[in-house]
Amino acid sequence: MSFFRSPRATPYLLLLPAILVILAVVLVPLLVSFWTSFTGYNLTKPATLFQFVGLRNYQRLLGNEDFWWAFGRTIVFITVVLNLEMVLGLGLALLINKVTWGQRTLRTIMMFPMMFSPILVGFQFKYLFNDAVGLVNNALFDLGIIDAPIPWLVDGTLAPITIALAEIWMSTSVFAILLLAGLMALPKEPIEAAKVDGCNPIQVFRHITLPFLMPFVYIAMTIRSLDVARAYDMVRIMTNGGPAGRTELLWTLMTRTGYNNSQMGMANAMGYISILLSIVFTFYFYRKLIAARTFMGGAQ
Amino acid sequence: MNKTLWRTLLASCAIVSLGGAALAADFDYGKFDGYTLKVKLIGGTQYEKLYTRIPEWEALTGAKVEIVSSKNHFDLDREIKQDIASGSITWCVGSNHTSFAPQYGDLYVDLKEFISQEELDKYVPGTLSSAMVDWPAWCSCRRVTDVSNLYYRKSLYEDPAKQAAYKEKFGTDLAPPKTFDEFKQQVIFFADPPNLYGTAFAGKDEGMSGRFMEILRANGGDIFDENWKPIFNSEAGVAAVQWFKDIYDAKAVPAGTVNYTWDDIGQAMAAGQLAIDLDWPGFAGFYSDPSASKIAGELGFATAPVGTSGKRGGWSGSHSFSVTQECDNKPAAASFAVFLTNDESAMMEAQAGNLPTRTATYPAVKEWFKANNKEFMVEMFSAWEASLSEARTPPLVAQWIEVSNVIWPAVQAAIVGEKTPQDALDGAVAEATVIMQDAGLLQ
Repeated sequence: MSFFRSPRATPYLLLLPAILVILAVVLVPLLVSFWTSFTGYNLTKPATLFQFVGLRNYQRLLGNEDFWWAFGRTIVFITVVLNLEMVLGLGLALLINKVTWGQRTLRTIMMFPMMFSPILVGFQFKYLFNDAVGLVNNALFDLGIIDAPIPWLVDGTLAPITIALAEIWMSTSVFAILLLAGLMALPKEPIEAAKVDGCNPIQVFRHITLPFLMPFVYIAMTIRSLDVARAYDMVRIMTNGGPAGRTELLWTLMTRTGYNNSQMGMANAMGYISILLSIVFTFYFYRKLIAARTFMGGAQ
Repeated sequence: MNKTLWRTLLASCAIVSLGGAALAADFDYGKFDGYTLKVKLIGGTQYEKLYTRIPEWEALTGAKVEIVSSKNHFDLDREIKQDIASGSITWCVGSNHTSFAPQYGDLYVDLKEFISQEELDKYVPGTLSSAMVDWPAWCSCRRVTDVSNLYYRKSLYEDPAKQAAYKEKFGTDLAPPKTFDEFKQQVIFFADPPNLYGTAFAGKDEGMSGRFMEILRANGGDIFDENWKPIFNSEAGVAAVQWFKDIYDAKAVPAGTVNYTWDDIGQAMAAGQLAIDLDWPGFAGFYSDPSASKIAGELGFATAPVGTSGKRGGWSGSHSFSVTQECDNKPAAASFAVFLTNDESAMMEAQAGNLPTRTATYPAVKEWFKANNKEFMVEMFSAWEASLSEARTPPLVAQWIEVSNVIWPAVQAAIVGEKTPQDALDGAVAEATVIMQDAGLLQ
């Protein structure tokens, strides 16, 4: 009791309301959803919340081919999208960093895609790539490049690429903004020193600019990997995971299972397995982040 | 001129007498002064015109209506499930649909307790079968009925060159298809992509499962047997999937049709990109509106084709209003549900091209269309009314949506060639069997 009256308790007491709120809105739902993953909880039958089925949901998922395809597809989707966003975002940041007049306006314009809701972007791209009335096919017809419509949102290869394109269009600017912030904070002295020592621009970029930017890259990667792992709205609008599951990602599958089929217990089991994916990606990027910071600190 | 005037007067009398009868004599809407009725209603242009009648019910009963939610049915379904899960049913009347209703268990009351049999008898019988689980037969006042039939473009069927070519190729006259085999033959015949496709179908969600079910039943099969055992991998089911695959492979449908939903099909038909459309009655108003549709002047109607069994699949469902068990004033809620589906309301829906659920509305609305020089809508109503006798809902079991969600990806997989129709359906039947076993309906 004396601890609570001591000055050492002040920070804890001040943080207590926030901790209680976090417990209420994060921990309790987490525990409840974790519990439901061991039940046959059906959304429209509240009594099933207490129908304990042990590991049945997890056992079924282990043998569920559709789930593991969606799991694998989500990993590929994250990997491809993150890398392309990083490369394009870095390019954009480097270009904008060179601009001396109108940079603020350009930075604002660059953020426009981020301001759209993913649902709206989904509708835009669905319309652009519609095989019958889409702008892309019409343009290709008019230019004489194709004589039969390309099924962008149907073909097993093109459909995931089209969705990735929409995701990249919307979120590349997240990388660009973060990397631009890194470039703007970059000290000028090492670069000038390197130039004096005779380094060419590629060598300056390779040995000074890029290592300095890597912590920013990994922070952006961590944030975006969590976002992309939860990709749902856009996929829901563009293909809803189809056709024939060709664009099914974890969240479209989980949402269909939980809300359309009302199998919330099974959907939560899927969620807990897929959390592993986010943990692995986050852990990997944090390790890389620490390594990059150590490198910057001159440890190597 | 005189003929039109007489028809208008006749139709007006019919409407006034129908409405007057409904309001004055047949049903007591009650008095609920100071009460506020909370409702969750389906939103969207075609549904909301009816809600302009709500002030009339308020004036009649003294109650107020608070619309706490207005969304499309899929979002509303999700919201209702969340309400059930969180135990927060704080509203009284909800929009409902045959496909969704069985999922909700005991959420809604049996309206027979609140509405006299005399009033119930005024609704069109036969749109619901008796095979229902955990769902009272009268859990809802039906608002409009959906049943699929054919829209076709007359200009294509009346084109002498096409008539001659069709006769030469198939040895029969070109006329709207009477069987699904003819339907397939004609959509392949008409297809001239990318300018014209024979048809398009809803290729995902319940739209795909429902259309598959329709052809399956027309071929003599069904989704379940009498013991709720999934049996749609039968010969009839494989033939139904093959039907979709054949027209897809022949490029008689847009390649993107496997991602289409109703709106996409409606837009394509109205844009003149399709020759035939097997669809719900609600599109009649849209297709025949010259300001929105390129085919307004050439729209033809025909009853849906029959399958190899000689019967129609008659995929049907009804939009309706239901009253919750938790409602604190069920008589007021029932009064509201009846008011929004009475003869006057049904007339308002029918004038917009929807199939009404009140028997008396059919002759009245035909008179109204004649009086308003919309003879083609009379033709449409005749075609759709004829098919109502063979209308069949999806299986009225809580697991239907769940089973539907294993059917449509399987049918898609067969259509795009990832699996054979038999393999795809065998896999789906295995999954559906587990669903029915888990539900305790199948040992």
